[in-house]
Amino acid sequence: MRDALRRSLVPLASSLLALAATAPFVAGGSYGIRLLTVAGIYALLALGYQLVFGHAGALSLAQGAFFGIGAYATGILAVRLGLDGALTAPASILLPAALAALVAAPVLRLESHYFALATLGLAQLALLVAINAEAMTGGANGLPGVPGLALLGVAVAKGWPLLAVVWSAVAAVAWLAWRATGGRRALVFRLLREDPIAAEALGIDTGRLRFGAFLFAAAAAGLAGALHAHLLGVVSPEVLEFPVLVACLSMVVIGGRARVAGAVLGAMLLVHLPEALRDIGAWYMVVYGGVLLAVIVFAPNGIVGALSRGLDRLVPGAPAPLPVPVAPPLPAPVPPSRPVLSLRGATKRFGGLTALDAVDLDVAAGEMLGIIGPNGSGKTTLVNVMSGLYRPEAGVVLLAGARIDGEPPFRIARAGVARGFQAPRLIDDAGVLDNVALGVREHDAAPGRAMHWLRRLGLEDVARRRCGDLPGGLRRRVEIARAMASAPRLLLLDEPAAGLTPQEQDTLARALKTLNGEGVTVVVVEHAVAFLAALSTRLVCLVEGRIVAEGPPGCVVRDPRVVAAYLGARWQGTEA
Amino acid sequence: MTLLQLGVDGVALGAAYALVAAGFVLALNASRAVNFAHGDMVMAGGFLAVVLAGLMKLPGIVLLPFAVALMALAGVLLAAVAYLPLRRQPVVAVFVSTIAAGIMLQNAATAWFGAAPRAGPSLVGGGVVALGPFALGRQALAVIAVAAGAYVGLHLLLARTQLGRRLRAAAQDPAMAAALGIPVTAMTLVAFALSAALAGIAGLLLSNSFFVTPTEGGNLMLKAYIAATIGGWGRLNGAALGALLIGLFETVAATLVSQVAAEALLYAALLLILLLRPQGLFGEIAGSRA
Repeated sequence: MRDALRRSLVPLASSLLALAATAPFVAGGSYGIRLLTVAGIYALLALGYQLVFGHAGALSLAQGAFFGIGAYATGILAVRLGLDGALTAPASILLPAALAALVAAPVLRLESHYFALATLGLAQLALLVAINAEAMTGGANGLPGVPGLALLGVAVAKGWPLLAVVWSAVAAVAWLAWRATGGRRALVFRLLREDPIAAEALGIDTGRLRFGAFLFAAAAAGLAGALHAHLLGVVSPEVLEFPVLVACLSMVVIGGRARVAGAVLGAMLLVHLPEALRDIGAWYMVVYGGVLLAVIVFAPNGIVGALSRGLDRLVPGAPAPLPVPVAPPLPAPVPPSRPVLSLRGATKRFGGLTALDAVDLDVAAGEMLGIIGPNGSGKTTLVNVMSGLYRPEAGVVLLAGARIDGEPPFRIARAGVARGFQAPRLIDDAGVLDNVALGVREHDAAPGRAMHWLRRLGLEDVARRRCGDLPGGLRRRVEIARAMASAPRLLLLDEPAAGLTPQEQDTLARALKTLNGEGVTVVVVEHAVAFLAALSTRLVCLVEGRIVAEGPPGCVVRDPRVVAAYLGARWQGTEA
Repeated sequence: MTLLQLGVDGVALGAAYALVAAGFVLALNASRAVNFAHGDMVMAGGFLAVVLAGLMKLPGIVLLPFAVALMALAGVLLAAVAYLPLRRQPVVAVFVSTIAAGIMLQNAATAWFGAAPRAGPSLVGGGVVALGPFALGRQALAVIAVAAGAYVGLHLLLARTQLGRRLRAAAQDPAMAAALGIPVTAMTLVAFALSAALAGIAGLLLSNSFFVTPTEGGNLMLKAYIAATIGGWGRLNGAALGALLIGLFETVAATLVSQVAAEALLYAALLLILLLRPQGLFGEIAGSRA
């Protein structure tokens, strides 16, 4: 009860704030109602934008264009063909969404700065078309005479009825957005925007998430554009211009980029801000820019983020009890006759450098395989090829007999390959439990299984701590717990002992031995020979991208080729 | 208009764009983020030229050093307000902060000067220069000369001086540069100062033949952005060359077909390049590694 109350505090406080800002205008009669309708339309636009910008972390500069395209779709269909709102509104939603789907495949792959540019280019093209395709769009003067909204022949009058329709749409879209991004999904999105590589390695399909977010944003923008056209009664190129995007971006940043309440509050505040600042005339846009700048610098999570933090401080709730550990179901055993993972002739080049040179390697079920090699011998490249981060130029990678080379990393992760990174890639600003829960793919089972792996790796005491505050040894174990939480057939670790104190190395070695003793197949790549020789059941030495020695640890570390690789050729004699 | 005149006008526009693009890339390399206010800095440079010309009644070439000094200060201010507080945040935060700074600049200009276009000073007077049978615009030739001079100066500064080496080191690997005792923050501020100074020169050069309006920043930024993409993300010479091509293309296409066609073709070409060759025509400088 108390918990539910606490959870509702933020939306409640946001609504009060929004009401306080708008009440004077609503009281002012029809003009106030119109402003509130505009605010609802912008809330729709901002709710969509939150998904692509706030959650997926992609600065789309086409959100304003999708709004304008939705407005033009309704305008053209209603004015030129006299169609009903029941047809024009879906068209306004589908057209931007279809356009987004069309361009998504090439642009969503691009890095952030190219994605921003590509979407900006798209927006500029849309504006040029609107101004110059005069026969259809009315050119620079726009398209007058857009009728008010009518649904199946029933006219929705401007004023209270349209206000009700608009805010019902806001409620519906807000519910959808909350379903798509609420609770644990917020954390998945956070990993996607902060570290997409780590997300993929946990089996998260980052491409699909981004695609869905981009499409949802375009559809919501199209709906907002349609309602805007009905409200104004005219569609002009202004709806496609940069200020629409700036308004939407500002609402999301100022309100709060990742909370549904943020989009609504941002829209309410910014639509009413010009009224409040009317006295300063032309300078109000300068203040607007200043507010945006100040918020992004001082309150990166916006007003709702600051509000939620403030309320947490004011009304500190008792920390929720830790979830009860639930052991995961056992993974299907791989028959020992068949290797878990095999490489055949795996080759990876970077320009002129051959990092992996036709490597043949089998990882047997249940073994603890150590891979040593001096710096630059191709160890990390090997892990990256095994986990799908790199695609080998030649050769094949088999997981339990099935080819996985060329598959995207998230598929390989889902097929049962979990990995750690040279420097643990965690969400520093989130708690240990939350980070580990990201490894579990079944949403409902996540907390219990995460707790299970925390206990197994001796991390119970730090379950509530922030990952960024933990020392290196603990961070490493958190990452291993997260990898294990995905119930892998094979655990790949890239230099797990690097930067750890001798005690931390001991703890880590014991944890890995226990896991291996219970049947988890582990591959550890390591620079530190002594650490690995004591740990592994079998050792492989990699030099310049080739395997030069292989066998029981005791033999491999004495192998003259291994000694030569580590110490230089002239030490060979003294060691033997 | 002869093809030669057209070519000279195109190169003049392209040369000014090249300075815009070079400034854009300097800030980009120093911050790893897109400076969305860069076009508005060019606009600010243009209005600065208008104001200085009004105050001093001197030709543009004499006003240039004043514009450069004042704009360099503005660049330091921009970095201090919109970049330094956010340098540990994801780059998208800097995208947004510079968009905000751009809004402030653009609207401050509108509030001060109104929305109508203003003409800046010419560099060494107007008219034409007879070159054998050809009559070439004096302003266009002067623009090309000044832009070339500024670009060569920038190149010498970066390639030949200790400051230039430090700037490049700080941009390439800030952690390593800091470990070598290079004051990385100061270098970032210098890079933004240089970037804004180049924007100021470009603004002054463009303000005479093309006028200056408060809302022109977005378009200029977009062209620099496209030039940086064509030229290979992070490559100074590539971006300058890309900008030169854009200016030339724009002038020729606008004369032969129409302004709209020129713009539409440019954006379509951009989308094609991003689709087919996102590493730019000359390749990116830095790849990312896991």
